[in-house]
Amino acid sequence: MSNTAVKQKRPALKVTKASKTLNVSSGIFRVNQSITKSISRKSFSSVGDSKVLDKSSAQTPKHTVQVFDENGQEVTPQPLYHPDPSVLQSKQGKLFTTHDTSWATMTDIQTTNASFAGPFTRSFFGSISASRTSHSAESVADETEDLLVKQDLSSSLTDVQGPIEQVKEQVMEYILDSVADCYLTETETFWLLDIPAVSVSGDSEDAEAVKKRNDAYIELCKNRQGNDKYVERSMQTFNGAPKTKEVQSDSISMVDKAIMSSTWNMYDSFCSGEVSGETAVSSDGKKAAVLDTSSMSHQPNPEGPDQSTSVVSITSTASSLSSRLEMEAFVLQVEEQPDSELILQSDKFKQDLAVMERVVLENIFQPKLAAYRQLPVIEDPDCARTAEDLESWTEHPFLEHLWAFKCELTMGRNVSSMAWNKRNPDLLAVGYGQFNFKDQKSGLVSCWSLKNPMWPEKIFHCESGVTALDFSACIASQLAVGMYDGSIAIYNTQSTEQTPIIDSSDCANIHTGPVWQVKWIDHETALSGEEKGETLISVSADGRISKWFLRKGLECIDLMKLKKTNMRSERRPKPDKREELFEVLISQHTSGMCFDFHPNDLNIYLAGTEEGQIHKCSYSYNEQFLNTYTAHKGAVYKITWSPFSPDIFLSCSSDWTIHLWRQDLLKPVLSFTSGQKAVYDIMWSPHCATVFGAVSEGRVEIWDLRVSILDPTIVSVTSPGVKATALLFTPETDCVLVGDSEGHVSVYKLENFTSVCSTQQVDTLEDIIQSTLASHL
Amino acid sequence: MQKNMILCQQTNISRDFKELRCRKKEAEVEETLKRIQSQKGVQGIIIVNAEGIPIKSTLDNLSTVQYAANIQQLLMKARSMVRDIDPQNDLTFLRVRSKKNEIMIAPDKDYFLIVIQNPTE
Repeated sequence: MSNTAVKQKRPALKVTKASKTLNVSSGIFRVNQSITKSISRKSFSSVGDSKVLDKSSAQTPKHTVQVFDENGQEVTPQPLYHPDPSVLQSKQGKLFTTHDTSWATMTDIQTTNASFAGPFTRSFFGSISASRTSHSAESVADETEDLLVKQDLSSSLTDVQGPIEQVKEQVMEYILDSVADCYLTETETFWLLDIPAVSVSGDSEDAEAVKKRNDAYIELCKNRQGNDKYVERSMQTFNGAPKTKEVQSDSISMVDKAIMSSTWNMYDSFCSGEVSGETAVSSDGKKAAVLDTSSMSHQPNPEGPDQSTSVVSITSTASSLSSRLEMEAFVLQVEEQPDSELILQSDKFKQDLAVMERVVLENIFQPKLAAYRQLPVIEDPDCARTAEDLESWTEHPFLEHLWAFKCELTMGRNVSSMAWNKRNPDLLAVGYGQFNFKDQKSGLVSCWSLKNPMWPEKIFHCESGVTALDFSACIASQLAVGMYDGSIAIYNTQSTEQTPIIDSSDCANIHTGPVWQVKWIDHETALSGEEKGETLISVSADGRISKWFLRKGLECIDLMKLKKTNMRSERRPKPDKREELFEVLISQHTSGMCFDFHPNDLNIYLAGTEEGQIHKCSYSYNEQFLNTYTAHKGAVYKITWSPFSPDIFLSCSSDWTIHLWRQDLLKPVLSFTSGQKAVYDIMWSPHCATVFGAVSEGRVEIWDLRVSILDPTIVSVTSPGVKATALLFTPETDCVLVGDSEGHVSVYKLENFTSVCSTQQVDTLEDIIQSTLASHL
Repeated sequence: MQKNMILCQQTNISRDFKELRCRKKEAEVEETLKRIQSQKGVQGIIIVNAEGIPIKSTLDNLSTVQYAANIQQLLMKARSMVRDIDPQNDLTFLRVRSKKNEIMIAPDKDYFLIVIQNPTE
C-alpha cells in the first residue's frame, strides 16, 4: 500500500490540473473525493518521506541520551521496534501533523503551478486545510479500514508512541533459559460499522408483534379505498412566476440633532405651547399622549438664510387603535431667518444701537459723569496719570469744566434758553435762536441726555429762532417752545415726529413779537384743589402776558397788558394818576421781557419790561399793577424769586447791574455789578440760599453773598468772541450749565465751594439784608 | 378708468412712502453707526446675524470672523446661565473688560451687535 503510495507520488504532477480548479474560490469544496484522496495520499507520501527523514535524523543522535542505574549499568531504554528504513509508515502520524500536511501540499502546489495566484490569503489556506483535513481524515479512516491488519496496527501504534530509541538488547543468559509465559487475550470488539436492520427474521420473539402490526396496516390501507371517512383531496398551489424588480432609493441623509434640556428650554416650550398650540384631547381614555417637543431656538439652519423652517412636534400616543384619535400639534417657534436688511432696519436694532452708543460714551466720559453726579472718581488703573492732575490743586473755589454739549448741528447757533425735564433729571432741552433782529435764522430745539453728551437724543427744527422753553410738570414729555416770530408750539419729546403736537398758528391773537418767556403754571390745582392741569403763560415783546389753553387749537387770553408808563412822569409826581394816560404815546404797550410767579402764592407774579420797570401783578386782576419796582435803566432780562426766602427776588438787566429786591421795598436792597457788560441771565442756586449765578457777555459769575456782596466769588471768563447767554443750575448736583453764542452748553462743576444747604443760609441772607438796610438808614 | 388710475397712483405713493421710510431708517442707522465708530477709542463694530455670520463690520475679515465665532459661543453660554437661574429673565447686555480693551455685546433674537473699544486711548 505504501509502495503504491510511493508510486503514486510520481504522477503528482497531474495534480496541477486539479489544482487549477482550486483557483476558483468556491471550487475548492467541490473538489472530487478522488482528487483529494490522491492529494492526501501524496501528502501521506510526502509526510512519510519527511517522517522517514526525521527518523533517520533522529536515529543518528541516539547516543547522546544515556541512563545509568545505581550499579553503573546502562539501563537506557532501547526501542522495542526497529523499523525497516525502506518501509514507509506515516499514516497515523498524519493525524498529528495535519497542518504540516496541508502546508506541504500547498507549497508543493505552489511550486508546481506557478499560476497559482498570490491573492489567496493564509486564512484561505487555513480554510482549505480545514477542508482537506476533513477529507483526509475520512481517507485515513478508509485507509485504516482497508488495512485492518494487526501488523500494521501494531506498527502504527508503536509510531504513536513517538520515536522510541533503539535499545541495545542485553541478552542475558538467564533470560534466555527462562520460560516465558505468553497470555493471549481478546480485546473488546471495535465497532466500525453499525447499520440497524429494517427486517426481522421470522424466528425472533418480536416477529409476531411485527407481523400483527403489518397486517393491521394493510387492512387500514384497504379500508381507505372506498370509505367515506377518508377523502382524498389534492391541491396544487401555483407558484407565481418570480420576477426580479430593482428599486433604488435616494440615500437617506442623516442629521444629528441633540438638545440639552435645561430649565429655560422647558420653560420656553411650555410658554409657546400654551400660546400657539391647539390642543385636541383624545377622548378614549387611552394612555396619555407622550409629548415629543424639540426646540430649535439656537440651532443653525442648514438650509440657508432665506428659507423658513417650522418645527412641528407631533404627540404620539402609545396605542393608536382608534381612528378617532386626534393628533396634537404643537407648532414651536416658526423661525424666519431675517435677512441682513431687515435686521438693520428693525426698531430693536436702532434701540440697541442707541444703548450701545451710550455705553461707549459712558466709557469715555465716565470720570466726568462721576464728578457730575458727585460720585468718587475712580481712576482707571490702565490710564496713565497726566501731569495736569497734579497742577490743578488749589484752595480757591473755581469752576471745573466737565464737558460741553455740542455737535455739528448746533455749531454757530446762539443758545437762548435751557430747561430741565421735570421728571427725568438727566434730560435737558436747549433752544437755539438769535436774539438780534438782524441775524435771524431757523431755530432748533435739541433734547440732550446726560448719558450721551455727543449727540442729542431729539432734534426739532423750527422755522424761526427759539427764544423760550419750558418743560411741563404734569405731562413730563411736553415741551413748550416760544419763538422769535411770536408763535408757540408744544412738542412731545417722546414721539419720533418732527412736528409739534400743537402750535399757535391757528390762534387769532397770537403774539406779534418774539416770545421771551414761557412757563407752565399749575395754577388751577392751587386754586381749586383739584388736578385740572397746567396752563401755559407767555410774555412777549408786544406787551402782553397771555394765558394759553386748548380749545379747538391753542387759544389765549390776556392776563395783563403791559402798559407803558412815562418816565418823565416820575420826576414830576402827579397826585392824579389819570393824567398820565392822556400823554400821546406811539404804543400803549411796552415789551415784556420776563416774568416769574411767586413760588408760594401763584396769584402774584412779577413782570419785567424793556423799559426797566418791574411790575407786580395779580393773576386774577388784569387791569392794574399791584406795584412797580423801578431801578433798572435798561431792559430787565430776568427776574427770579428766591427759592428759599419768600420775599426776595433778583433781577438783572442790560444796564450791567443785578438788583436784589425785597417784596415790600420799592427800592432794591442790594445791587451787584462786576462787569461792564449786559447781564443776560441770572439764577438762584437751588442748594444754597445765598448763592446765585449770573452770565454776562464775556463772563460767568457765581456770587456767594456770605463771602462778599461786592465781588463775585467765582469769575470764569469765556473765550474771546463767545458770549455766554444762558445759565442753568442743576437741581440735584452742584453743577452749572452755561450756554453760549457758539452753540455749546458747557457743564461746570463748582469746586471747593461750600454749598451746604441749611436754614442757616436763609437766616444769613436775612441778616445780610437787615444789615444792609440798617446801614442805609 | 380714472378710478383705476387714481388707485394706481395711490399705491405708488404708498410704496414710495414705504421706500422713503426704509431709506430714512437706513440713513439713521448708518449715521448712528458712523457716530459710534468716530467716538474715542472705538476699534471696531461688528453686526452678526443669528447664525453667526457677520453682516457688517469695520474690522478686517479675519478678526471679524474670529470675534463673531467666539462671541457667539460666549453669548449662548451667558444667556443659558441667566435663563437657567430664572427662566423669565433674559440677557440684555454683556461686557467683557480685558487688559487692552472692552468688548460690549448687545444680543437679540435675530442678531447681536459687538463694539470693541479701548477707552484709555
